[in-house]
Amino acid sequence: MAAISFLKSGFNRAGQKFKLSVYLWLIIMVVCLILVLPVNSQIRTSLGHLSWPEHSLMPFELNLVEIFLVNQNLLASYFIFFLVTILLSALLAVFLSGGLFGQMIDPVDRVSFSHFLAAGCRYFGRFLLSLVLFIPFLAVFFIVFKLLSAPLNLWSARAVSERPVILAGWLSLVLLALLWPAFKVILDLVRIFIVTEAKKVTASYASALKFLERHFFQLWGLYLLVTLAVVVISGIWLAICRLLSPARPGSLLVLILLGQAFVLFRLLARQVLIGVEYSYFSIRKDS
Amino acid sequence: MKKTIWPGALTSYLILVISISLLPAIPCPAQPRPVNYKLEVELLPPAASLLAKETLVWTNLSQDYIPDMYFHLYWNAFKNELSTLAREARQEKYFKRYRTKEEAWGWIKITSLTTADGHDLLASATFISPDEPPNPHDQTVLRIILPEPLGPGQSIKLNIEFQAKVPRNGLRTGHYKDGFFISQWFPKPGVYEEGKGWNCHEYHLNSEFFADFADFEVRITVPSELVVGACGEEIKKAEDRSAGKTTYTYAQENIHDFAWTASPRFIKVERWFKGEEEVSPEEYQQMAELLGVDIRDIKLPDVRMILLIEKQHRHQVDRHFRALKAALKYYGLWYGPYPYRTITMVDPPFRTGSGGMEYPTLFTAGTSVLLEKDVLTPEGVIIHEFGHNYWYGMVANNEFEEAWLDEGINTYSTGKVSAVAYGPGRIPARFNGLPLSQLFKLPAVYDWQLGRVISSPVAKLDSVLTSSWNFYNSGSYSLNVYYRAATSLFTLERLLGEKTWARIMRTYHQRYRFKHPRTEDFIQVVNEVSGQDLNWFFQEFFYAAKDFDYAISSVETRIKPEKYRGIFDDLPTVSPEHDRETTNQTAVSKKDKSRQKIYETIITLRRYGEIMLAPGYNLKLKVEFEDGSIDWKEWDGQSRWVRFYFEKPVRVKRAVLDPDGLWLVDTNLSNNSYARRGPTTKIMSVTTGLFWLVQNMLITMSSWL
Repeated sequence: MAAISFLKSGFNRAGQKFKLSVYLWLIIMVVCLILVLPVNSQIRTSLGHLSWPEHSLMPFELNLVEIFLVNQNLLASYFIFFLVTILLSALLAVFLSGGLFGQMIDPVDRVSFSHFLAAGCRYFGRFLLSLVLFIPFLAVFFIVFKLLSAPLNLWSARAVSERPVILAGWLSLVLLALLWPAFKVILDLVRIFIVTEAKKVTASYASALKFLERHFFQLWGLYLLVTLAVVVISGIWLAICRLLSPARPGSLLVLILLGQAFVLFRLLARQVLIGVEYSYFSIRKDS
Repeated sequence: MKKTIWPGALTSYLILVISISLLPAIPCPAQPRPVNYKLEVELLPPAASLLAKETLVWTNLSQDYIPDMYFHLYWNAFKNELSTLAREARQEKYFKRYRTKEEAWGWIKITSLTTADGHDLLASATFISPDEPPNPHDQTVLRIILPEPLGPGQSIKLNIEFQAKVPRNGLRTGHYKDGFFISQWFPKPGVYEEGKGWNCHEYHLNSEFFADFADFEVRITVPSELVVGACGEEIKKAEDRSAGKTTYTYAQENIHDFAWTASPRFIKVERWFKGEEEVSPEEYQQMAELLGVDIRDIKLPDVRMILLIEKQHRHQVDRHFRALKAALKYYGLWYGPYPYRTITMVDPPFRTGSGGMEYPTLFTAGTSVLLEKDVLTPEGVIIHEFGHNYWYGMVANNEFEEAWLDEGINTYSTGKVSAVAYGPGRIPARFNGLPLSQLFKLPAVYDWQLGRVISSPVAKLDSVLTSSWNFYNSGSYSLNVYYRAATSLFTLERLLGEKTWARIMRTYHQRYRFKHPRTEDFIQVVNEVSGQDLNWFFQEFFYAAKDFDYAISSVETRIKPEKYRGIFDDLPTVSPEHDRETTNQTAVSKKDKSRQKIYETIITLRRYGEIMLAPGYNLKLKVEFEDGSIDWKEWDGQSRWVRFYFEKPVRVKRAVLDPDGLWLVDTNLSNNSYARRGPTTKIMSVTTGLFWLVQNMLITMSSWL
């Protein structure tokens, strides 16, 4: 089966269950509100009544820097709050992954918020464990990355001009971007096994690795194809946004809408990716 | 060997003679200079080392009898982990400007030190640690005992031989492979201060330098493939083809330091700054009027500009020269003509840690292969480092003890030149060496705008006039001596007016050209030219670590009640001012029979900072009402707060404290204004932008987990 049909199948499945992206969007929005509201409150308190004449003494961005420098103590407290919230969000993310995989793989087309939450609860423990067991793979990932980027680092270290340093830096990033899916695909596949075959986590790892023995490059390739599409569409989106100036209220509203459309696009892309992986898995699992 | 040398030497001599005859005669003030150097140095690139001889004639210009001499041996700061510089670098928590590395040590070793009659002075030489806290391991200051005390007017000639290892990526000097930047490399006497003794500090992490004016003649021998640049003028070049070496001779009078550089990857480009082309007659006229001087006194001479730029940056040659021309023009017009024949601008060799540094008649800038057009890099650095020829080079303050006198004044001057020559520059956004201005359009700002904001947090940490090694950390040092000092000078300029300030700065520069002024000298010139006693300003903003923050604390408005409840006598007690205001309004309301709303507004101003205005100074408060009327109030700022009362048939639209923006040194200008309708769109834009970033961060995280 050609890559295109896997992509098509994944896309269809994601389209049918688009509501999942909306659920995720709403939940993430709540977390964002928790994180951003204190900052917004500080800005409004300090600058809400700032007189902003046409010829201001300094650009507004410097007013922002100024109030954060003046309120450094608040900033330190906020930083701790931010970290704690992010850590809790990490657990929430595992929960959401449970809901997402559970509902995406569910043969029933209809999705509901209660089923999404139920799936999240059902798979939370096993997904968390799968994440913990993924740590050794992460270590391998970093070792492989270090080994592969070593020649680039050496080239950079021996350079007598700036260009090789910049080039090596960017090639390292490209390498990182190529390598990460190769490992991420393991975790995704483990979770597909957990959901489809109700296996234990260790058994799912064994099955996933066995499956990847034969299908690693195909899955990796599919992952990269979807990622490339996301990058291209993100670039186009960015170019459109660049045409709009946030200084005017009308443009700002369009920018906000475009921004949220992009967030939904990214969530949908995640759905598509799971759909593509599952589609490949379901067709090739017995081959 | 001679055959190969002679033609080259002859050519060099002819070039020299022709060049000198073509150059305009610029008077270099003939003041007595205590030091005369003749240096011969050979660079040995494989070992990254120097072999050198120094002949030094030092004259006692004081009335003291001097028994000893102190020398700076700066490179010993890079010798081990126990040097004062290395110790101070280790204490830095966040931004480490210097890190010791096993393979990167640098040092200087005197192998012979004798008087002209052969008296060995090395045997009695000792390293000393003059600064607090003492560091017995530091070897950056050497004391020698003279055979007999040197009387007033007497000179001593010393012959010194030394070897040095160039530090790898040191601080302000260093080498990387075959690229070298060589500064602070030779034994240099401290400055003898009459009645006080030698002023010769250890090499500290945050301190720069202090030395006497001298005449230099330096012969530099390097492998012929290296392109060389140095302070002063190249007066001779001799190539020894058999040895593959070339010897360059440089000379310069009346400078107090000598640096040089060599790299095979340099391109050397020369252009001329022509005063008559760069400055229009109208500009000369305006400047002469502003400064109150004869137009002939501000005519700018021609200067030979030499650029040594790395090949990888060759596409930026024009940008470099444009910035240098702007600097030569405006520093020259404002403070006095550049007195030397040449200025050498160096794009420092890659990874030598020597960018953005000043030396007399030579400076280093630094750039990147990928540059944005509207980001003023390297322009800002070029203007700043060239400017040090005025503030440090000619007006040669003690950078160890009063760094603000050059860094602060020069940061102020850089801001002025950048603003007039380029306008605001965009704040750079880069990732991994790649400019990201197409993705994140950061604002374009003037230097003074950015400087005043970033320096506000250190106002209470250290005073500007702290000795450079006694600052809390490198951040406090640089933010105080560069930016807080500059912000204070911009404030003074606004308080005194452009004309007075321009004359102050020129007077100070002219009076202390080729001298070593102190802060008191600057204050004295400010007071003298302005005709005011501004000692309080310097006391508060330079000698003390205090902040200055006046604010509009609150603006409260309510509709005035038609009747007040309670028991009132027939004759209410009111202040005369309040009485006048309400009487007028009562008259209006009686005339206009239809009752209209009266708004009572109370504006509270507060002094959050410790610094208060001096008697005689007032802060203005401008209050704009919705009907377009404007009220002005003044506050002497002595108390911690004050309230102003207004009764109007309209609300306050806007209130601004210090509406002319005189007090730039206010640590928080964001609390100086009030508007009924604030910058809602801007706040919305920032918040939604942040919201979007956090959303994407969470999505990325959730897709990984």
